[in-house]
Amino acid sequence: MTMENEAGAEAANRPAPADRTARNYGDLSRVERIIEHLKREWQLYVLLLPTIVWLLVFLYKPMYGLQIAFKDYSVFRGVAGSPWAGLEHFYTLFGNDQFLRALKNTVIISFYGLIFGFPMPIILALMFNEILNQMFKKTAQTIVYLPHFISSVIIAGIVMTAFSPSAGIVNTVMGWFGVDPVYFLTKPEWFRPIFVGTGIWQEAGFQSIVYLAAIAGVSPTLYESAVVDGASRWQMMWKITLPSILPTIIIMLIIRIGNMLEVSFEMIILLYQPATYQTADVVNTFIYRQGIQGGQYDFAAAAGLFNAVVAFVLVMTANTISKRYSRTSLW
Amino acid sequence: MSGVNLEGIVKAYGPIQVVHGIDLEVKEKEFVVLVGPSGCGKSTTLRMIAGLEEISDGALTIDGRMVNRVAPKDRDVAMVFQNYALYPHLNVADNIAFGLRIRKESKEHIAESVEEVGNILGLTPYLERRPADLSGGQRQRVAMGRAIVRRPKVFLFDEPLSNLDAKLRTQMRAEIKRLHKRLGATSIYVTHDQIEAMTLADRIVVMSDGRIEQIGSPMELFLNPANTFVAGFLGSPPMNMFDATITAGEQGPVAEFDGQRIQLQKLESLANSEGRKVKLGIRPEFVSVADQDAPNLVKLDVDLIETLGSEALIHAHLMGDPFVIRTNTVGQMNILNGISGFTIEPHLIKVFDAETGQALPGQVLEQ
Ligand SMILES: Nc1ncnc2c1ncn2[C@@H]1O[C@H](COP(=O)(O)OP(=O)(O)OP(=O)(O)O)[C@@H](O)[C@H]1O
Ligand SMILES: [Mg+2]
Repeated sequence: MTMENEAGAEAANRPAPADRTARNYGDLSRVERIIEHLKREWQLYVLLLPTIVWLLVFLYKPMYGLQIAFKDYSVFRGVAGSPWAGLEHFYTLFGNDQFLRALKNTVIISFYGLIFGFPMPIILALMFNEILNQMFKKTAQTIVYLPHFISSVIIAGIVMTAFSPSAGIVNTVMGWFGVDPVYFLTKPEWFRPIFVGTGIWQEAGFQSIVYLAAIAGVSPTLYESAVVDGASRWQMMWKITLPSILPTIIIMLIIRIGNMLEVSFEMIILLYQPATYQTADVVNTFIYRQGIQGGQYDFAAAAGLFNAVVAFVLVMTANTISKRYSRTSLW
Repeated sequence: MSGVNLEGIVKAYGPIQVVHGIDLEVKEKEFVVLVGPSGCGKSTTLRMIAGLEEISDGALTIDGRMVNRVAPKDRDVAMVFQNYALYPHLNVADNIAFGLRIRKESKEHIAESVEEVGNILGLTPYLERRPADLSGGQRQRVAMGRAIVRRPKVFLFDEPLSNLDAKLRTQMRAEIKRLHKRLGATSIYVTHDQIEAMTLADRIVVMSDGRIEQIGSPMELFLNPANTFVAGFLGSPPMNMFDATITAGEQGPVAEFDGQRIQLQKLESLANSEGRKVKLGIRPEFVSVADQDAPNLVKLDVDLIETLGSEALIHAHLMGDPFVIRTNTVGQMNILNGISGFTIEPHLIKVFDAETGQALPGQVLEQ
């Protein structure tokens, strides 16, 4: 094909741009194709831009600093100037009892959170779905959603007040039955139940919205047909509602497992105290104390990096398993 | 004795009444079809029988037992829904078995019944598949399977075929008919497809606006519609209708319109009714095409002749309204080409009161 011919073809095709791209797409090189695509869809990329910038600034740029996990970092020499230290910090990390304890606590707290916290919103959604009186349903939902919108600091304040040995409602009620006051928040054995319970109280209602939306998408004729077949409400819940929202449950479970090590760090900081470190200190609070308060940035970075790698492996595993066994997956 | 009896059945949503007192007796093993335009209350009526809607007033009896307040599961009815209502997470066998499992039937009985139903409906090769992996017709059959596996007293169908394409619909229609012959169960079937109604029904119930217009066998309704609504609703193309005035003629009443005259049959109800306004109804199939010289010719403005092989549709106008004729082509092509109007035997013309739309009494066409 000569140059003139190409130009001629271009000119002839110009009145129908859509047609032109369709016909010539195959001739273009990869780069040309991308440019062509950008030209056509630039509006979409403009919409995407803020998110990309946000990701770059707040998630990708800090990754540059991750290298200090492998360096003997000094604030004065900077990230690039500090000498390499290899895996030294990781050796120290795994020789550190406090870190191992924090790791264990993280796993245990996450596990409790998963076992008790994950089913809660599903159960709530199923229960809301059974409420026939619309007024009552709306009111109940609003009340259950409410804690989500309260700042963690206030939630922690409420929890501390509720469990206070002198004036707290829990101890007061226990007092009616002649039980001596318990210093809940200073007892290591009470920390995990209180923390997990608080998390459920704060988020379960709000998380149930996802499941309510999934339930709303189930065709009403499925229920009508089941009613004619003679199914009770209980049977319909088990045999129709639950299986219908199972894909949503699985997606939420994958996300949850991916975030498993991200124990709500601020809530722990707000609720724990040295007396409960034994059961309350998690990797993130450990990093916070070592890195920010103790100034051991390189060591803390190694701990953080380890946390992230474990989380990554968890999501990948959960997603792969789910894809293989239930045809549902995040990607 | 598994008949269904509706007496003065009313449905109201708050202050709005949508079904205004329906009386209908469905006999045992009978196949009754409810037809009517969209929104006339067919589904509502059916759902009241199923127990999915509360009955606002009236009495519903199934098998001699009043069931107004009986839960759907205890009415022993099965319903087939328009969108099939199959459980997407269950395979075909489990979908069919659903109702039996709910009723805690024994495993052997369930397995036997599913197999039998699979055979009856030709679903055996698909028993392990999920609904998503079936064609529309197969899904429809699974929906039927779910209904018949329970051997209910009464089958209820709400437009079960309307999601299928024309060819499949014809096929499934025949299958439903065959199934009804085989199982002989009392069936109430809702559709707005008049061909389904004509072919399936032992009796058709024509509804409009929450009322029953007429009940009768398909041919009764076709030949002797009780009013203009039924006349216009059944038959395709629909009955031609136009206004006319009665005058007296030598051989009985004559209808006058647009300067033309047409002989009517002798009816008592038309005696001494000169000047009475009526509506005449003429089925497209009941006329003979004629050329200019025919005696008693009714002249038409012919627009278009569609030749469909063995028959032809003639689209014409009479007093500005469309008038359609359906006729055989064999041996008639000459006449067809020179057509200028039609002739018709007086007894084939339906006379309706112009105001009430009711057919005048005494006009009975034998089948
Ligand atoms: N919940 C409701 N509240 C008020 N009116 C309703 C309600 N449900 C149905 N209707 C009305 O009842 C009438 C009958 O509805 P129905 O579904 O029985 O019609 P149909 O004959 O089955 O029509 P189609 O052929 O379109 O299915 C309609 O006019 C509809 O608007
Ligand atoms: Mg309907």
